[in-house]
Amino acid sequence: MRNFFSTPTAIVGTALLSVVCFAAIFGPWIAPYDPQAFDPLNRLQGPSPAHWFGTDQFGRDLLSRILNGAPSTVTFGVGATLIGVGIGSIIGVVAGVSGGWADSTIMRILDGLLAVPDLLFTLLIVTIFGGGMEHAMLAVAIAFAPGMARIARSAVLSVRTRDYVRAAVARGESGFYIVGAEVLPNALSPIVVEATIRVSFAIMIGATLGFLGLGAQPPSTEWGLMVAEARQFMFRNPWCVAVPGLSIAIAALGFNLFGDALRDSLDPKRSHG
Amino acid sequence: MTAQTLTKDAPIAAVEKSALSIIDYSLAYKTANGLIPALQNIDLTIPKGKTVGLVGESGSGKSSMAWSIMRYLPSNAVETGGAIRLAGEELLDYTPYQMMDIRGRRMSMVFQDPSTSLNPTIKLGEQIAEVLMRHRGLTKAQAWAEAEAALGRTGITRPKEMLQRFPHEASGGEKQRVVIATAFACEPELIIFDEPTTALDILTARQILDLFNQLREETNVSALYISHDLGLVSRVVDRVSVIHKGIIVESGSVQEVFRRPKADYTRQLIGAVPDPDRWVGVDAPGEPKTLLRIDKVGVRYGAPTKLQAMFWPTDAETVGFWGAKDISIDVRKGELLGVVGESGSGKSTIAKVLAGLQDFEGKLDFDGKAITSRNAIDRAYRRRVQIVFQHPDASLNPRHRIGTIIARPLKLYGIVPKHEIKARVAELLEMVRLPASYADRLPHQLSGGEKQRVAIARAFAAEPELVICDEVTAALDVSVQAAVAELLVKLQRNTGAACVFITHDLNLIRQLAHRIAVMHHGKLVDFFDRVDARSVDRDPYAKALLDAVPVHAGEPEA
Repeated sequence: MRNFFSTPTAIVGTALLSVVCFAAIFGPWIAPYDPQAFDPLNRLQGPSPAHWFGTDQFGRDLLSRILNGAPSTVTFGVGATLIGVGIGSIIGVVAGVSGGWADSTIMRILDGLLAVPDLLFTLLIVTIFGGGMEHAMLAVAIAFAPGMARIARSAVLSVRTRDYVRAAVARGESGFYIVGAEVLPNALSPIVVEATIRVSFAIMIGATLGFLGLGAQPPSTEWGLMVAEARQFMFRNPWCVAVPGLSIAIAALGFNLFGDALRDSLDPKRSHG
Repeated sequence: MTAQTLTKDAPIAAVEKSALSIIDYSLAYKTANGLIPALQNIDLTIPKGKTVGLVGESGSGKSSMAWSIMRYLPSNAVETGGAIRLAGEELLDYTPYQMMDIRGRRMSMVFQDPSTSLNPTIKLGEQIAEVLMRHRGLTKAQAWAEAEAALGRTGITRPKEMLQRFPHEASGGEKQRVVIATAFACEPELIIFDEPTTALDILTARQILDLFNQLREETNVSALYISHDLGLVSRVVDRVSVIHKGIIVESGSVQEVFRRPKADYTRQLIGAVPDPDRWVGVDAPGEPKTLLRIDKVGVRYGAPTKLQAMFWPTDAETVGFWGAKDISIDVRKGELLGVVGESGSGKSTIAKVLAGLQDFEGKLDFDGKAITSRNAIDRAYRRRVQIVFQHPDASLNPRHRIGTIIARPLKLYGIVPKHEIKARVAELLEMVRLPASYADRLPHQLSGGEKQRVAIARAFAAEPELVICDEVTAALDVSVQAAVAELLVKLQRNTGAACVFITHDLNLIRQLAHRIAVMHHGKLVDFFDRVDARSVDRDPYAKALLDAVPVHAGEPEA
């Protein structure tokens, strides 16, 4: 952990992530305009001193809309991941610790679910639940759970055969103590790292759902929805597609690079150097 | 001092004639904490046709030396001066491309672990032939014929068949013979042996050493033999250099260095080599009382499932394999029982059974109470029988502080009242000769030997009657090994606990154990008092094991 900032990946990832988090926390307050205020006279304009990122098809200020959309986008990514990691980890730890036929049964079912692509799986769940931000979030979370369960299980399995766990078994410790004190703390880092990387996928899937009209609904400032709404005007003002699109890319990249750097610095092989 | 040895032992003319001469060579590694020196002012000369030993503990820089000579250093290595000359040619001046021609043809290397130094997807014959084709320009047919001859010279009985096999189809000893055959194939001027027998069993290691001596005489090759094992080095090399923390502390002929060591470190190293005739164990318990007895205990890996047993009863008899079978041993109160065997002999399986980590068949009788299955082992038994594992890095939870680790058995078994735990932990740390302040440290802040002391303190915290030591010294350096063994004996003397000491090191066990059990292929082949170790009625396998042990440093070979 000591040398976290020694790689360019970590520096860039952290920089992007701080920009995104800053926007997510303070965005709505620092936005220069009302994100929903129409201005028919200044429609589809490029960047100018008055409108830094330009305006959309209704003359709404793009910067203000991006800043207003940041909290919901980041909340969506982080929230979906947290729920997914929570469900997945519990399943994975249970499978890894119990072993035997319980493990085989759980893992075969998860393998079946993993065969369905993430986006398709999410779409399937959204069609069952119905659209809307909360439902989309839940759908992404459920789609993430099988993958997370696999990672949690493999982390638990690799720790379970270590000598310190066997020493605890030989001492006659309770199963609860062994899982809670010996196994879980040592299995946590791969789970945390994977979760960080998955936030970026969640943001992208969320944006895709928004784009397809299955996530947030107009006049929401969700970034994916903004790309979808501006699509018709793409050739008259490319900015109204590029700005939300780039924002999604930056947020996803930030979480992804940060997760990568986190993995490198938590990897015992590298941190002992 | 370095300049002196150079002028005294090797005048300039000899340097020119020598196979390899390293002059005032220094190497450092660039790390986050700045430049860390790995080798400092190394002077080492290998005369033509001679073998020089380089002896040091882990981290002494001996492997860095090997890679420097091979010119294959990691990117963060910085060479801070000196020269490495192969037959008078300066290797430091060669480009990586030129070195490719020299490696394999003029210098080659034999690694520690033959199972990782051979490519598992390529036939053994091809791996030898490839070197011959690359460096001697032979055609494929010639190379295979030559490879067969090279293998034949290493004492493999059917070289032609061996060439057609893949690495996983050969035993460890056979694989190492293939690696050695490859190294000798191009008749290089210099061969570097980096601990070539460490990963092998005692008997195989002995054969490889004999092979090495034989090939050396036949080919008159010059060799650098790197090892941590003084006893072993003393029988294969002409001259020896002792390296400590990147500095050569002593060089000279084998006899000279081992008989009259000059440097303190060498003396310490020689003193640490276990000598089977020097008894250090506790006194044998006066009147033998049995503490634990296992009766016809067996462990079967891959045992048939209930389904198999029900529907295919004939198959069920043959599936899986016995990790240990029909083992009957008794442990007496206060004694130290040695269990010896090669890897895969089932000795660790027995340790796991005794510690309640392995399902078993048969009967285990502890202090008059019979136990017939693993589930019947209760916490009281687990308190009275403690285990110490081989790898101290793996047996301590990396996220718990030393104090927490040692305090755990105290809390779990309620050995001392809550408010006295801290004081007792300090006491236990002192018992294993560690400062009480270590209680606040994390395992990775300790050295390997210190970690093993913590593991021992944890075992003795439970105030056990039997401690199982599963190869506790195998992962440690020689000098640390001796200290840990000595500590164990001291604790045994103070607490009166019995000990089952599992090891492959026969010299060490003959210093410590009252009785020795020899295991081979999952069976108990011999069980005897230590005084009878050399008596005539020993099992042939036990005899072979005892004979294979390297003669103690400096003594003439029998």
